[in-house]
Amino acid sequence: MLERVRSYGIVGVFAVLFVVLAISSPSFLSLQNAANILDQSTILLIFAATTTVAVIAGIFDLSIAAVATAAAIMTVNAINWFGMFPGIIFGVLFGALLGLITGLAITATNVNSFIGTLAASFTYRGLGLILAAGGLVSIADKEVAASLNGFMEGKFLGIKGAAWIALAFVVIVGLLLSKTIFGKWVYAVGGNREAAYLAGIRTQRVLVGCYVLSGMGAGIAGVIYAGRYGSGATNAYNDTFVFTAIAAVVVGGVSIFGGSGAVWRGVMGIFTFALISNGLNLLGVDTTYQLTILGLLIFVAVAADQAFRRTTRA
Amino acid sequence: MTASPSVLEARNVVKTFGATRAVRNVSLDIPAGSVFGLVGENGAGKSTLAKIFAGVHSPDSGEVLVNGEAVTFRNPYEGIRGGVSMMAQEIMLVPDATVEENVLLGNLPRRGIFPNRKEMRRRYDELVELTKFDLDPRAKVATLRIADQQKVEILRALSQDARLIIMDEPSAALTADEVVRLHASIRQIVERGATVILISHFLEEVLSLSDRVAIMRDGELVRVGATVDETVDSLVAGMVGKSLVTEYASVHRAPDTAIRLSVRHLQRPPAVQDVSFDIHAGEIVGLAGLIGSGRSEIARCIFGADRLSAGEILLDGQAVSVSSPKQAIDQGIFMIPESRKEQGLVLGSSIADNLTLASLDKATTAGVVSGRRIKQTAQALAEKVDLRFTSIAQPAVSLSGGNQQKILFGRAVDVAPTVLIVDEPTRGVDIAAKRGIHATLQEMADAGLAVLFISSEIDEVLGVCNRVLVVHRGRIQAEFRPPYVQEDVLAAFFGKDGKGNA
Repeated sequence: MLERVRSYGIVGVFAVLFVVLAISSPSFLSLQNAANILDQSTILLIFAATTTVAVIAGIFDLSIAAVATAAAIMTVNAINWFGMFPGIIFGVLFGALLGLITGLAITATNVNSFIGTLAASFTYRGLGLILAAGGLVSIADKEVAASLNGFMEGKFLGIKGAAWIALAFVVIVGLLLSKTIFGKWVYAVGGNREAAYLAGIRTQRVLVGCYVLSGMGAGIAGVIYAGRYGSGATNAYNDTFVFTAIAAVVVGGVSIFGGSGAVWRGVMGIFTFALISNGLNLLGVDTTYQLTILGLLIFVAVAADQAFRRTTRA
Repeated sequence: MTASPSVLEARNVVKTFGATRAVRNVSLDIPAGSVFGLVGENGAGKSTLAKIFAGVHSPDSGEVLVNGEAVTFRNPYEGIRGGVSMMAQEIMLVPDATVEENVLLGNLPRRGIFPNRKEMRRRYDELVELTKFDLDPRAKVATLRIADQQKVEILRALSQDARLIIMDEPSAALTADEVVRLHASIRQIVERGATVILISHFLEEVLSLSDRVAIMRDGELVRVGATVDETVDSLVAGMVGKSLVTEYASVHRAPDTAIRLSVRHLQRPPAVQDVSFDIHAGEIVGLAGLIGSGRSEIARCIFGADRLSAGEILLDGQAVSVSSPKQAIDQGIFMIPESRKEQGLVLGSSIADNLTLASLDKATTAGVVSGRRIKQTAQALAEKVDLRFTSIAQPAVSLSGGNQQKILFGRAVDVAPTVLIVDEPTRGVDIAAKRGIHATLQEMADAGLAVLFISSEIDEVLGVCNRVLVVHRGRIQAEFRPPYVQEDVLAAFFGKDGKGNA
């Protein structure tokens, strides 16, 4: 019973928040507001999905915001060089390539992923600076910029194009994790790396795969930025995105020690955060206090999780 | 014996975990100043009972009396304050701190914010005066061998005024000579008035050390009596509930003449030095020796888990390259590793996932895993190895040691290798499970597999194997064939050759 409370606690928290907000704010229960929440969560959904996979595999990728920033700049450059569609594909692959480099470097040297991706993060931020020649790059062809912006910002069934991309990506990563052999390997490697290795799983490749996936997600985030703003800037995504994604994944109930969790948990974590800040807005709480409140709520959620763990073990 | 007062009494103690009745209505007295043995199969409730005494668990009903007074320890800390201390199966010391610091940890004498070294030494010397333990108080604990680390734990317990020290499988991780030291330590502290509850799978140990012994089965107390009235056979009979013959079936099917596995001049210094041997199809070859002699390292090299610096591995006469476990498995070599918890199982994952871990690709079409097929395969494997569980989806961590080991054998059946390496498969499993494992190994050999069997228990190696190789300092020291002379084999452990020469 307690185990179930712990396991589905995030759903309960989400439901309670939802009901409280629905009662206390009349404008909360509108399709418009739901679409807003989704829109504001677009990039975090992508990051939370890949971060879930990484954390389950027992690693962290702190470089995703830096990769996304470099990819945004690279996408703009590539569109200017090769045209729109090749440029978009190039941008996504560029993100994946940076992930591959991070993964190979870390697995080859056996560096701790936390510190290794932190170093990678600085490196890729620097790479972004170099690619943008120190400033901002813009899509030269105004028509291309306009049509890309039209796709990202335009609505289909009330939801913006960028949000559709994020939703599709989350579903694909979810299926990858839950249905494929790669997903099974990820759980095994995160649950017990040595046992997985001795069972004949190529653990290094699995880990590299996780970094590539993270890089690819960051590449997509980069393309979305380029599309939304018609430019790539060295400050496109700051590292708060990374930490918010990790916090959301943990609040959603993914074990920080690896080996267990699911993509929907990361998604629930993000939506819970979005609901909290959306609710605070609707309730007219001064934005000055919002971050503090969010931080305290995260702590309470994780502390409650720990408490449940302790009770279920005894 | 009846004259000595009880240091601890249990009255109708009951403890239930979910649907499992771990301890059922147990009542017993533990006389002061004695060694009290507690034996039973895995899952019989020994550890749970001991943890109730120490305050790790609270009983659902019943009473525990320490020195005649009813106590309710809510946690181990209260247990320690009440004079009951439990040495866990894992050593709980600060590796970078010194012996004396570890002994007095939690109660360090100090002067202001600084440790009071003089007082620390005085208190340490007092304790050593009691026990006559011979340790360097300034040595870092990380540099000590395990038997000496256990002494530090015992000293710590005594420093906390423990009158009752519970030891749960203290000799499980020790080498033969360390066991001798541990036994001496236990005798010393008991002579000086402490009481020890000794939980152990090593029945000879219990017989030689304890004054009284209690047998548990399925959470119930079978009987308590003076140790002098018991023998290995009577203890085993009490544990399993029926009289079992403890001798091994010594008749083996003669192995085939075909050599299945050959290793030539394997090198991975310092652990593996110029190791060569053959295993025939249908043969079980034992790799024996002290812990740290290089047995496991040889196995890991053959399985590709550690890289060889030189040497050759031949399967059915063909040289094969084995540079990773994946490659080894693809070529028909499988290993059940030494530590099922650290190296074998993904403890948080389901039984089904663990059973099929090495052969996931069989249940995969175009990258997509069929959950149904995994379940079917797992069910079939579980049946083959006689795995006991309530749901195939329950996590591996919820199983007993013997059943966890069966998962790994199930994995081996699934991989269907031609060479099977098993490293310490019976460590910490109960007698019934042990027999099951031996039978499984024999079946696999009968099916034509070449089996390399590693164990620290010499009886077991001699009972199960067609041939025994003794490893000493990374080399094959001697080879033995039946009929075995146990003393000769043991002598080889310590560097003698097979003929008794040093």
